[in-house]
Amino acid sequence: MILFGLVVLAALEASPSVQAGWSDLAALVAQAQPGDVVRVPAGDYRGVVTIDKPLTLEGVGRPVIHGFGKGDLLLITAPDVTVRGFDLEGTGDDLDQENCAIRVLAPRAVIEDNRLEDVLFGIDLRGAPDSVVRGNSIGGKPLDIARRGDGLRLWKSDRARVEGNTIHDGRDAVLWYSEGVEVRGNLVKDCRYGFHLMYSHGVRIERNELRGNSVGIYLMYSDTVDLKDNVIAACRGASGFGIGLKEVSDYRIERNLIRDNCVGIYMDSAPFRKGQAEIRANALVCNDSAMHVLPNVKGNTIVDNAFIDNLSGIVPLGRGDLYANAFDRDGAGNFWSDYAGYDEDGDGIGEWVHEPMPLFGRLVEQEPKLAILRFSPAEQVVEFVARALPAMRPDPLFIDENPRTRPGDEVALAWRAGREAGAGESEEGGRGALWAAAALLVAAALASSGGIQ
Amino acid sequence: MSNNWPRPEPSLVTVWVLARRELHDALRSRWFALDTLAFVLLGLAVAFVSGSGTGEGLAGFGRTTAGLVNLVTLIVPLMALTAGAGSIAAERERGMLPYLLSQPVSRWEVLAGKWLGLSLALSTAILLGFGVCAMAVAWRGGTSQGASQLLLLAGLSVALAIGLLGVGMVISVVSRRTSVATGLAVFTWLLFAFATDLGLMASTLTWRLTIQSIFAACLVNPLQAFKLWALDAAGIPLDVLGPVGQYAVDHHAHSLAWLAAGSLAAWAIGPGVIAAIAFSRRAAA
Repeated sequence: MILFGLVVLAALEASPSVQAGWSDLAALVAQAQPGDVVRVPAGDYRGVVTIDKPLTLEGVGRPVIHGFGKGDLLLITAPDVTVRGFDLEGTGDDLDQENCAIRVLAPRAVIEDNRLEDVLFGIDLRGAPDSVVRGNSIGGKPLDIARRGDGLRLWKSDRARVEGNTIHDGRDAVLWYSEGVEVRGNLVKDCRYGFHLMYSHGVRIERNELRGNSVGIYLMYSDTVDLKDNVIAACRGASGFGIGLKEVSDYRIERNLIRDNCVGIYMDSAPFRKGQAEIRANALVCNDSAMHVLPNVKGNTIVDNAFIDNLSGIVPLGRGDLYANAFDRDGAGNFWSDYAGYDEDGDGIGEWVHEPMPLFGRLVEQEPKLAILRFSPAEQVVEFVARALPAMRPDPLFIDENPRTRPGDEVALAWRAGREAGAGESEEGGRGALWAAAALLVAAALASSGGIQ
Repeated sequence: MSNNWPRPEPSLVTVWVLARRELHDALRSRWFALDTLAFVLLGLAVAFVSGSGTGEGLAGFGRTTAGLVNLVTLIVPLMALTAGAGSIAAERERGMLPYLLSQPVSRWEVLAGKWLGLSLALSTAILLGFGVCAMAVAWRGGTSQGASQLLLLAGLSVALAIGLLGVGMVISVVSRRTSVATGLAVFTWLLFAFATDLGLMASTLTWRLTIQSIFAACLVNPLQAFKLWALDAAGIPLDVLGPVGQYAVDHHAHSLAWLAAGSLAAWAIGPGVIAAIAFSRRAAA
């Protein structure tokens, strides 16, 4: 009698279809032999399901694994497991337990073509070297940013490949203690950190789009990092960095489009050790500051970049200048949209050096509160005074001996890629509205003039 | 009152008649033509030069908007102040004021009529300027510029003009000659546009003003109030303006528009009342 009561209670707790599905998936896994391909039919299943032998789990018609806001969903403890074609929904929201949709604790997992929604942590590779995370969509919980989990996390997972995933509304995508990882063609939007590297060496990050995060890509304590052809946009807020570099060495940052961030590139102790440190052929466009650079930043080669319409260019934080970094190589420097010189012999290199000495910028750096006077006439007065009165003129921050008078070809490539990536950002259809606005304004003008008396 | 004729009660009809006359005169005056032309040309220049085509479509917020805000904070107050300064002083100098006041109208009606007429004239100039600017941007096509942003900015610019018209009229009432009034107006403009900001800059550096007091000081200045309002309304993230802008976002996200509107309204009403009192006490000639 008591036993019967318990069964009834259990049946009441879970909806009937779910209860049926739940037993199915665990049973399917239990029945399968190592190395089997298990085709899981469409239906509702309940987590958590543990996969403890090498299997390929293939969803047919997108089966759904539910967590109903509790615990984890899939736990992979055996090597060589593939999980493909599932929808996973509703993990718990316990940060201490790190409730996770797919947690991998063994090497060589392939997590492919899954759709994760309303998850605290999305895909968590813990000690899963040589794994592949490809073509998944990961959506976080609609929580305050501090209470969210990481959409993607790699921990001691060397040589993992992260390709073509979409991550949105999570906390960070974290790559820690993982060497030789390749990150390609992902979209990360509306998270805190796009990609956050710590102690991860030999990582390549290419052709990703990072939009609306607090920080696009933060590289910390890592060596030998390649950042190429990424689009990093709209990183705003107090630490709104497109790319952050902290104690990184041996890096190449190439052909990225970095636009509309509070700070395009933030640099602290980079490079940490002497060696290759190249920032070349990037387009830094319409950022509040193109770069913030701490005084300990020395030995970078910053060439072929296009600095376009940033409110401030390169800003050294703390007093000092940037003379310990090179701004030109082989007779060619960067393109600066605020370059005041000209190109007489038509070789694409300006005849005057570019030596920015913004007085207002210096004052803002000294007292950030003064930024409130941006876009006001006083700002121009200060800059005018700096030009007109040599006594007021600050020392130049750096000198580009060979400024380009047009952006280089590689920058144009970054540019086009970025425009294509940003095409979905609702800029079309504005033209008709503008004509309408113009007509409305002129009509209003006529009305207020009393119809031209 | 200065005349002994029996007069009808002060009425809005009278004000409207006087306003129409003022508007009529203003639209035919040289200052109006020059102001409008200058505004249109500068607006065009901003529309074409901002981003110089390169950053086009890539800026998250319209650089044209930011440029226009800058332009408006410079030009519109000058237009409003000089227009206001010319109003009464010019009548006085031409000897028209005693004649006007000998009509069955009160001084209050004269001042209100002039204020209303000039407000309409300034609105015409500004809206026309923005209309042409909108056409230019539309013709160039494909910018990140929203039509609604331009409409908003046009409306706020009209508010700024009306906010400073009263100050110009105070100058006009107390000045005996047009030249003096215009000179005073330009001086006042310099104060608003440059001196207050530079003063704020200096005091921030010298006395380490708190964020709250800098924010308050900005709101008191009608030009800065307009700028904050316009940037905010145009959807430009105010963290562009550093810690004080961040403070505005954090603590006054919803009230910023009201605070700025209050500031402009106070500038419109306060000096307007002062002008009315001063005008009622001064001799006509």
